[in-house]
Amino acid sequence: MTKIEKIIEDAGAFDCVECGKCTSLCPVAKLNPNFAPRLIVVKAQAGMESEVKSDKDIWSCVTCEICNDMCPYKVNFSGFIQRMRAEAIEMGNSPLCSEAGAIHTMQRLTGKGQKQNRLVWLTNDLRVKEKGDVYFFTGCSYQLGILFKDRAAELKKVPASVVKILNAAGIEPVVSNDEVCCGHDLIWSGNEAVFKDLMKKNVEMIRATGAKTVVFSCAEGFRTFSLDYQDFLGDLGFEVKHISEYLLDLIEQGKLDFKESNVKVTYHDSCRLGRHMGIYDEPRELLKAMNVELVEMPSIREKALCCGVNAFANCSEVSRKMQLDRLLEAKGVNAGVMLTFCPKCLIHYNCLLSMEKKPVELENVELVVGDFSNFIAEQLKGATEKTSVGHENVGQVGNVSNSEAENMKGGE
Amino acid sequence: MTEVEPKIVAFCCNWCSYAGADLAGVSRLQYPPNARIIRVMCTGRLEPEFLLRALELGADGVLIAGCHIGCCHYISGNERAQEKVAMTSELLDVLGIDKKRLRLEWISASEGRRFAETMQEFVKDLKALGPSPLKGGAE
Amino acid sequence: MAETMSSVLVIGGGIAGIQASLDLADKGVIVHLVEKEPSIGGRMAQLDKTFPTNDCSICILAPKMADCFGHPNINVWTMSEVTELEGSRGNFKAKVLKKARFVDENKCTGCGDCLEKCPTKGLTNTWEQKLTTRRAIYMPFMQAVPRVAVIDPENCKFLTEGKCGVCKKICKRDAVDYEMKDAMLEFNVGAVVVATGYDVWDPTSSTEYGYGKYPNVFTAMEYERIINAAGPTHGHIQRRSDGGEPASIAYIQCVGSRSLKTGHPYCCSVCCMHSTKESMLAREHIEGIKTTIFYKDMRACAKGFNEYVERAKKDYGVEYVNSDATVQGQTEAGNPIVSFDVGGKFQQREFDMVVLATTLVPSEKNVALAKTLGTELDEFHFFKVRDHTFEPISSTRPGVYLAGYCAGPADIPESVAMGSAAAAKAMEDLIQRKVFA
Repeated sequence: MTKIEKIIEDAGAFDCVECGKCTSLCPVAKLNPNFAPRLIVVKAQAGMESEVKSDKDIWSCVTCEICNDMCPYKVNFSGFIQRMRAEAIEMGNSPLCSEAGAIHTMQRLTGKGQKQNRLVWLTNDLRVKEKGDVYFFTGCSYQLGILFKDRAAELKKVPASVVKILNAAGIEPVVSNDEVCCGHDLIWSGNEAVFKDLMKKNVEMIRATGAKTVVFSCAEGFRTFSLDYQDFLGDLGFEVKHISEYLLDLIEQGKLDFKESNVKVTYHDSCRLGRHMGIYDEPRELLKAMNVELVEMPSIREKALCCGVNAFANCSEVSRKMQLDRLLEAKGVNAGVMLTFCPKCLIHYNCLLSMEKKPVELENVELVVGDFSNFIAEQLKGATEKTSVGHENVGQVGNVSNSEAENMKGGE
Repeated sequence: MTEVEPKIVAFCCNWCSYAGADLAGVSRLQYPPNARIIRVMCTGRLEPEFLLRALELGADGVLIAGCHIGCCHYISGNERAQEKVAMTSELLDVLGIDKKRLRLEWISASEGRRFAETMQEFVKDLKALGPSPLKGGAE
Repeated sequence: MAETMSSVLVIGGGIAGIQASLDLADKGVIVHLVEKEPSIGGRMAQLDKTFPTNDCSICILAPKMADCFGHPNINVWTMSEVTELEGSRGNFKAKVLKKARFVDENKCTGCGDCLEKCPTKGLTNTWEQKLTTRRAIYMPFMQAVPRVAVIDPENCKFLTEGKCGVCKKICKRDAVDYEMKDAMLEFNVGAVVVATGYDVWDPTSSTEYGYGKYPNVFTAMEYERIINAAGPTHGHIQRRSDGGEPASIAYIQCVGSRSLKTGHPYCCSVCCMHSTKESMLAREHIEGIKTTIFYKDMRACAKGFNEYVERAKKDYGVEYVNSDATVQGQTEAGNPIVSFDVGGKFQQREFDMVVLATTLVPSEKNVALAKTLGTELDEFHFFKVRDHTFEPISSTRPGVYLAGYCAGPADIPESVAMGSAAAAKAMEDLIQRKVFA
């Protein structure tokens, strides 16, 4: 079997009967006349290898998995795309990466072996351990908060929020400065080699802490550990849990108390947490347990709309339209806040909201897209700091103060 | 023990600092040859990706040299550079790369001497820091 | 012993069961035809026309139903279900529960006077696919056999509250009997034929088709009732939203079938043909109507079927599009918007009406019935056959035979053939004087 045949077989794509249901439901196919999932699979089945690999539209797929979910034959189209992208890169077919590729570079740089300084957000009031049963995977939220200061500064607060919440429930999680990027964007942009390297580093490091459970706030890290890591390595030796399911257990044991809240929120099922991992109920039950009023948008759960960008590659007008569709749904239900567990979704939606020339439909719309974990932390009884609702820098281009600029010259 | 010479990538803007570097040369001012100079029309063109990539590919230090604030040939390009460099610097810190490896200077076309001095200082600082931790050096 | 040697129990009064009963009765065998509904006829009575001949369905079925009912050797037991089956091949004892109809079958002439006077209206009419309502006392359908009214005990005012009693007063034949009780019947039979047929799957859970959300999306069975001249709209094709006549209809195939997602991965085997038939009939009902069939594969395999499809294309102008389709929205006028893929390009088209070729599933009662009969079901809850190749009519219990859709997808000619085959098999058991284990 050739490599391509193996990719097609692993994805179950030989079962495709070319019915076209995937294309009829694909949000990208609706907007991009050159893209159709059915056509890509048909070409691959027909052995048109180089055509598929050199097709620029292999990067147009947002890997939302609506097609996977609805395919009558359970073809794993997104898995197929993931592996084909690695082949495409080898052929010189690369995507247009956001921020000229800075995010991917940042992610690769975490794994070069140097001693990082990832725990800068760890203040004295936060209690963590070096070895223990529960490991909190901090991921790249903080770094993304730096890179996207103008659109998603609140991401810097996510790791601290999670530790705060766990501490409030009497848990001291393990965090590590030796963590590296989970590699999500790298495997989805065809860079298998670096992904595998990062994966090995993370798994070895976590095993060494003795942790039995690894908790994630980031939807993408959660999916990557649960699916991609296990695909390559088999049983990891520890349990992987999302914070929404983890906290529900704690709440049931009466370990967390929340304030009264009068904000109306809507919840965005990001693709990685929802369709990829099947976690739909837990965030909703969390809001219920927190006594927060939830208004649901029309397209939720398996039908949730995608934020239009995958692995920070190939952002285009199609992405903008998909983001607009989602925000209009949030506007339609009069939600003040749209919460999500995915830092990417947060960045992309805020990117649209912070455009100088916003789409006309979004003008004068009072909508904040906020991080769910930050929201939980701020709703803890006794919490005083505002983290997500009403955070600074939404809708403004960030400005570096002069004093900060002074510090740049000549070093410290 | 032979000292490893630090490799510097220097982004210089066409109108001020590149001319300043040229003036240093014409004036026969001595400065260490560690830098590879890349001319850009304005430091405002710089993306954080260039700075990060230079370090990933083996630079020990990256210099960004532009016009003085208020004197940018394109009015405010250097202000954009300032923001980008500040952000990159914060990111480098979290990545475990010393902020001192990223240096922002305003050097005008007439400041040949300043260019040479900047180079001398930067090389000295980098030697003190040692090779980039991305190449296996300790930070 | 004489009784068992000359009688057979047939479970299910659809075309397969009717055929088996007639074959057996004509040879002198006593047949007990047990049917759970108040009338025999099954699904075929609900259809308008049958493919590939486009014969009127009830017209060819009703004579057989009448033959069955009038045959001296056939005992038709309606409102009945088998509760026990003991014994072995050649020698069974069956217990059948006959639920009370509350109308005396020997007295009622089917005149219909009671039907107009019942004050309890607006009840769900499942036979008419909920397109219209019925009253507490009702005739199962116009051509019902036996043509005897039946009372719905949960909704009848007299039976629940002791009030009303109008139907009894009106009936000139004194056929209404509120005191009627369920009866337990016992039969000694030499063989059993199972012909319980299918149910129509409800596509509401497959939200990509918008059934239930968009009013002008119909199931195929609803459509059959609509185009039927005896149906709720007297044969006029009408949209649900505004009662208007559609100028275009889309037929979407494989709704619920051939899908691992819905748990029905088998092909229901009839809907390629019935959608072809339905689109031809649409053209006969409405001048110039545009019909489009969205299919994954065109399964027109049996004799005359491919010619039928070609006839539809040439003579009736039916458009065939090789793509699955979904309904994700509707226009302001209530026209469903159908999304599909042609040549690798996403397309959308507005239609006035959409008909979903919903899959056919084994009756939900099969699980309990299989247990009662001591036979096995396959993973889809069809009755399992003894051997796929050489014993496709025998169930896993010796002496119990299968006919029609209850054993797996089959169209009308196939069901009839299986009915006759099951009758022949049953006859074998009756003729053999030995009793087999």
